[in-house]
Parts: sequence; structure tokens; C-alpha cells
Amino acid sequence: MVRISVIAKVWIEEDCIVCDACQDICPEVFQITDETSQIVAAVRIDGQFDRNIGGALLKANFGAEFAEYIEEAAEACPVDIIKFEVVGGAAPVVEEAAAPVVEEAAPVAAAPVAVAPVAVSAGTSDALAAVFSGDRALMILFGSQTGNAAGLAEKTAKLAANYELAASVVDMDGYNPASLVGAKRVLIITSTWGEGDMPDNAEDFWQGVNSSSPALAGVNYSVCAIGDSSYDEYCKAGVDWDDKFSALGATSVQEIQLCDVDFDEPWAKWVKSVLPRIACVDGSGLFQESLVEEMSAYGEGVDDSVSSGDFTPGTVIMDEISVTIELFRYCPSAAESGWDTISCSVPAHATVEDLLIAIQQDVDGSLAFRRGINGGTPTTGVRVNGRIVLADIARISDLIGSSGNLKIEPVPGLPIIRDLIVDLSGYEAARARAEPWMKADPRDGARLLSGAAVGTMDAAIATQLHQRGDILSYQLVQSMSDTSSYDKAYEGPGVHLQQWLRAEDPRCGVEQRNNILSSLNETDGVWAEADLSSIARYGFDGKLAARGLNDARAHLLNTSNYSGKHGRLVKWYGRSVKWTGNVNETTLYRQVLGPLGLVSNIFNGVSARMVLGFTRNGGPPIRGLQGLLMPPAGVGKIPNMINSKVDAHHEVVSLFNEIDKRF
Amino acid sequence: MAKVAYYPGNTARAASMEVEDCIVPLCVTLGIELVEIPRASSDGGNIISQASPKLQDSLVARNLALAEQKGIDIMTTCATSHAIMCDTADTLASDSIYASQLNNLLVRTSGIEYTGESKSRHLLHYIVEEIGLDKVRDLVVNPINLNVAGYYGSNMQREGACGDDDAFLPSYLEQLITALGGVPIDYELKCQSVGAPSLLTLEGTAMAMTAAVLAEAKQNGADIMVSACTISHSNLDSYQSRAGKLTGKDTAMPVIHLAELVAFALGHYPDRFAQLRTRALIIGS
Repeated sequence: MVRISVIAKVWIEEDCIVCDACQDICPEVFQITDETSQIVAAVRIDGQFDRNIGGALLKANFGAEFAEYIEEAAEACPVDIIKFEVVGGAAPVVEEAAAPVVEEAAPVAAAPVAVAPVAVSAGTSDALAAVFSGDRALMILFGSQTGNAAGLAEKTAKLAANYELAASVVDMDGYNPASLVGAKRVLIITSTWGEGDMPDNAEDFWQGVNSSSPALAGVNYSVCAIGDSSYDEYCKAGVDWDDKFSALGATSVQEIQLCDVDFDEPWAKWVKSVLPRIACVDGSGLFQESLVEEMSAYGEGVDDSVSSGDFTPGTVIMDEISVTIELFRYCPSAAESGWDTISCSVPAHATVEDLLIAIQQDVDGSLAFRRGINGGTPTTGVRVNGRIVLADIARISDLIGSSGNLKIEPVPGLPIIRDLIVDLSGYEAARARAEPWMKADPRDGARLLSGAAVGTMDAAIATQLHQRGDILSYQLVQSMSDTSSYDKAYEGPGVHLQQWLRAEDPRCGVEQRNNILSSLNETDGVWAEADLSSIARYGFDGKLAARGLNDARAHLLNTSNYSGKHGRLVKWYGRSVKWTGNVNETTLYRQVLGPLGLVSNIFNGVSARMVLGFTRNGGPPIRGLQGLLMPPAGVGKIPNMINSKVDAHHEVVSLFNEIDKRF
Repeated sequence: MAKVAYYPGNTARAASMEVEDCIVPLCVTLGIELVEIPRASSDGGNIISQASPKLQDSLVARNLALAEQKGIDIMTTCATSHAIMCDTADTLASDSIYASQLNNLLVRTSGIEYTGESKSRHLLHYIVEEIGLDKVRDLVVNPINLNVAGYYGSNMQREGACGDDDAFLPSYLEQLITALGGVPIDYELKCQSVGAPSLLTLEGTAMAMTAAVLAEAKQNGADIMVSACTISHSNLDSYQSRAGKLTGKDTAMPVIHLAELVAFALGHYPDRFAQLRTRALIIGS
């Protein structure tokens, strides 16, 4: 069997369960983060690192080189969320091999990729819409010795999206000259090396084109050549390509651009002119020169951030509002902190990050903060008007109160490096110690083609697990705890939540599960959190995190027979409520701390404050005397030794007996 | 006359009797009729939930159902109890299957069910939103005339539990203190937890958190502190000497509950109020 498919693009849909299977099979393409598998930036033409929902094409040879592994990963995915599209848009083709000759799939990159029709903005002419309706593939070939040409190729590819072009950046190294045949749009960006030589990565390809002389009629192209005018053979490699393509029948849509050592400006001039021109090559390969002007206007009107494909997210536009910003500043070299006050008008729909960028650009270039990538970046946390938010998605309209003030400061509980940037290394170190990632062996389950075992779980459990861990940023959860600032040994809720979710994963190995539970039960584990309500107050993520950590506590208590102080507190709290309907604090004090703990109140000032210096008033004074002279003493002013029962107490007992008989 | 079911929380009728002393007269003055629900039990205090969230939810749902039977909301003086009731009500409203399971239990064990009609109200929110600060101001007999730091705690300062106040930059306590003739003191940590649920198990941490709140309020000029949470009140008041000793911070400050502050200003217990003013004077010097 020989697989001859070439993958054009691969993406990850929602609900990844972070099982690592895809990364195990093809780490060159898939990389697991805390929350999902993502497509590695190095294999994508857009250079982004995310799930690739936008459907960016795979670079150069990767679609062919890793096709088999990508397909294997997709098959192995337990929740079936790895999706891919093959070159030509058809399903992967599998043919019987007639002979035992296995031909390596040619590195055809993405030249003949058929992409889905793009959504076209209203207002475009029918002729332009017709151009957009066909194949929009653009190949950008680069020959590069030091990386300059490669960098320009990447930038060109990004800008090409403005003209509804599906660009793929192709390294000339190893590229098959035969693959040029059939391409409709080709841009060449190349430097010149030595005395007019091709760069090293382009030499073989150049030789291949010269020896095979492919017919390039139907290919529309242009060349951007980088060189050094102090050499005699200035930009010779680029000139050679231009001549060669022309000689082989290709059509130049734009004159060659020669760039000296300061290549940015001439490249920008070239790309501004060439992209609308090559974008006017229609699906049949015909250059529609009459549409160039309209195409230019179209491309210049498209925001860089607009997604390509058949869906463009809606944009919320809000009126400008006047804000007074109090901005925390900290200079580490002077060890000084303070607040800047800035008054300005901003669109209410802007994010906090937009605002910070504007301040950095227009007011104070030294302002330091973490910028996000594509929105929802976990490390962009800041505190705004008391709320802990991710700066790159939090809208000003959702944060500003009626006062019109915005108080922006670093997230709490973490050391500050500068201004709004906090030191996350402590969190990372704690996470590294906690090892919340999947360690599935030894375990039962299905096996991959490679022979490695992969655990399985049914969809319902996968869904439940995903819902419990649907956290935007564990770094943010880490900073939600009020306790962290007062207990340096506490590993933190963000780390513990990841551990607990891993322990809940049925594919988790027994040994790892036991290690995690043991770690969570340590003194610096989940019991070190003094008050889960301080976490639960922070919106959806906070509530989810507090619930997860409470579940972890419940599991530990229920498997340890309520041992230790925490266990005794919960056990006797429950028992006292069951006995009378109300909690008895005297009982709690005695059972949790023991008789010595009670006596200690006399010496540590608590009882004395009750009698001599306490603020509380009311109740019989004999209680205060009682606190000094005869333990057990309770919390605060001495409570009742014995509670009277609530009315219909049997109803409370029935609830306990129906739900939890352990008390 | 406004009518609510009174839920004292877990400690007002045990270790926090000063709250119980004050709530009845202040409500009479403000025109709030308190209806007893003698069958109501502890809400589990977020401690029982650590063993069984379902058991805690059932206790809370039963209390809410008892108020619902009388056709009124519940009012409580405890921020923790208020937040617990809001949580359970939210959970049941968003999960009809779970709500149905709990209601089956309630019908079987107590002959009642909770439909979601009755809600929990905290004393602070009830006074500001239902009674109105203008009316409170008119009824003040003994203006507080002290610098007062309001303590909210972390429990009820979240969306869905803080009434119409801002969850993260609240001002209801400060508005009420002003209406009662006091001077509100602003400080950063007014919504920070003092670790009350862990007082017996993580004493060192709870004391450090308590000391930080008290010391910061004092540094900002507070003569006294008023707590909206009955359970946190224990840490802030009875344990303040211990907290100061363990951390080396100046934590000495009279701390009273919101119900006391309102009752004093409305003319109740003038002898206690005089003692409080004397203490504030001595400690502050």
C-alpha cells in the first residue's frame, strides 16, 4: 500500500482531552499545551501556534513528509478532533502498489491546493468576485543563505491573505522542479551568494530546473532579488530566475525588483504592487489586468487581523468613552513603585491590551506588560478594578464602572518584575514539581501503530473531564487565591487543579495517580488553601477551580477516613449538625485541637481578649469567666456547650441518612 | 412593613450573641418584620461540602424551601451563609435534574420543596436596597462619629451574591457608614479573606491574613472595623491579639458586626456604644 496523499492543512477542533497521542506520533506537527493539542508554528505558513482553526496551509514539504503520520494521529485521536484536508480537497487516496517500489511522495508543497471559496466583502464587483471564487493558491519560493529572503517570504505570505490568496512559503531546498508545472501564481524571493551564485538552499533546485526545463506556460510570476550593489554580480541569482522563468514560458506580472542591503523598503514597494497584480490571476491562470486597481483597493481595505476562510468574525463597535486610568508602575533598578494617572478617550470595545499598547506608543514607551497572541493568552493576566482578567480579551466596557476609572495593576500573589509583568517562574517551577502531565504507562488500552499503548475513555467521561477543566488560564487561577501571599510553601490552586484533573483522567497511570493524590494531600497541597471562596469569586474560571479543588478535598477525605486536622474538622462539623441541626463550636474546638489546644487559648491571648479586651458585647458575662477558668473554650465568646435541637430535627437526620451516612 | 425570614447563620446564636442581640431591635426601628424559621438548620458552612457537596446543598435547599413556604425571602447577617445560599440557589437554577433529585429528597424527608422563588438577602444589601439610606439617615439617633473601616470578606463579593453593589469595588458598607454618621475608611484588603474556614486547621495562615486586614485598616486611619460577616468577625475580633503577636503587626482595634453598628446608631444599647467609643479612644491613643 502506498499512500500518495499530501496534506494541505491540518487543524484541531474543540474538546481536546490532552491525551498526548498525536504528539507521540508526530511531534513535528502536533504539540500539546495545558489545554489542547496545537499545530506547530514551524510547519505552518502563517507561523502561528494554535489549533489552526483558520486553516493555514502547511509549509513546503511538510504536507507530504508528514502526511502518513498526520493521518495516523487523526485515526488514533480518542475524541476524533484532528481534522485535515488533502491537496486537491479530496479524501486521502490509497492505492494498491503494483510493484514493491515505494516512491517517496514528492515534496509538492501546496501549489495545487484547492481551497474553499472565500467569503467576499459586499461591494466587490462581479468580476472580482469571480476571480475570488476559484483556486487562490500562491506559492512563494525562497532562496536564502542568511534567512533574510526567508523572512521576507513569510511576511509576503501574511500580506497575501489580504487579497484572498492562500499562500504557501516554499523552501527551494529539495523542491521538485516538476511541481512548478500547473502552478498559477509563483513569487520568487532570493538572495545572491558569493560572486553571483545561488544561495546554498537553491542550488540543487536551480540545477534541476535547468536540466529538466519544465514548461511553465500558465505560470504567472514575479521576482524579488536581494543583493549587494558593491558586488559586480548584483542580484544575479534573482535576475537568473527571472530570465529562466521567462524563457520557460511563464508570464511576468511585475518587473523584477532589485533590493540592496537595505532591502525592506524596496521589498515593501514590490510587495505592495505585486500582490494585487498576482491576486488578479483567476482560477484558470489568466491575469486579469483590468482588475488590478479594484484589487489594490480591496487588499488595502482589509485589516491584517481578519481571518481568511469562509467565516469572518463579527466586530463589535462601541462609542468612545472617557476614562481615567490609574496605572501601577514599578522600576526594579530603583526599587520604586507608584501610580501614573492618565486621562483619555478610548473605544469601549477596546481590550485592556489595546489600551496598554496605546499608552506605550503615545504616552510612555517604557511601560512593560505581557502582550498576547490572538486573544486569550494565559500569561496576559492583570488586575483591573479588582478583577483578575486576561488583558488581551477583557473589554474595557466590561470592567469600567460608573465612575469612569480604570485601576490597572499586576495580578496579586506573584512577585513583580516590572510594571505589570509578574514573575511566573515560581508557578512554572511548582508545576514542574507537580508533574500534572499525562504519564499513562503502565496501563491497559488500545495501541498505536507504533506499538505504544494509549488509554481510552468513553465520550461522556471525556466531556465531563473537559467541562471540569475548561479553564482559560491556570496562571490566572494561581493568582486568585488570597492565601498565596501569606504561605510561601503553598503550591497554589492553579497547579493543584491541574494535578486533580490529571488524577481524574481515567487514562492516567496508576502510579502517577497515586503520586498526585499523595502530593495533593501534603501540607502544601490542597489543604493549604485557607479559603476557597477567595478563588470562587473570580467568575466562571474561579468557580470552576474552587469546585474542582473542593472535589479533590472530598476525594482525599473519603479515602483517608477523615484523618488529620482537616478530616476531624469536617467529620465533627457534620456530626454536630446531624446531632442537633446546628454546629457546635465547642465540640469542633475540642475535637480538632484537643484539650491542650483549648488550654492554649488561655495563654495565647484569645481567652484574655474575650474577657478583658474583647470588642464583643452582649451575652452573660459569666461566659467570659468560663473561658478563662474552665476549658473547653470555644471560638470567640464562649458558645453553648450543648446545642438545643432545631424544630423537626428528625428531618435533618433523615437528610444525612439519605445522602451520607458516614457522619 | 417589609417581611423576611431571619436566618442567623451558624454562629449568631452561639458564639456571636451580640449580633443576635442587635438584629431584632434594629429591624423594629427600620420597619423590617423578622419571621422565625425554627426548623432551619446549619447550612454546612462550606465545611460539610468538603465531604459531600450534595449534603450541604440539601441542607441549604431545605432552609430556602422553609422560607418559600412562608412566601418570603431569607435575610441573614452572615456573609458566608448568604454566599452559600446564593451558590446553592444558582446551582439548582442551572441544573434542573439535580434540583429535581434534591427536591425529591426534601419532599421525602421534610415534606417541602424549593422552586427557586425565595432568595437570600444579606442585611447590608437589604438595608441599602430595600429600606434606603435616606430613611436610615433620618432614623439615626447616635451618629457613629468614628473612622470606620468596613470589612466585606471574600464570600459574598462575587457576581450573584453582592446585590447591586460592585463585586470587586464595593461601596455599600461605606455608604451605610456615612448614613450612620461615621467616616468610612477605604483600604485595599476589605474584600480579602481572613481564612475563617481554616482557623482551627491553618492557624498561622489565618492569623497572617487576619493581621494584614486589621493592620492595613489601622494604617489607613480606622478607629474601628465593622464586619459584614459573622464568622470572619471571630478572627478579626477575638483573635486579633494572637494575630498581632504572631505577625508583629499592630492589629489592636475594636471590631463589631454590622448589626451592632446599625443598632448603636439607631439608638439601641447606648451603654455598649459608649464602651465602644471609649475603647476606640484608648486603643487609638
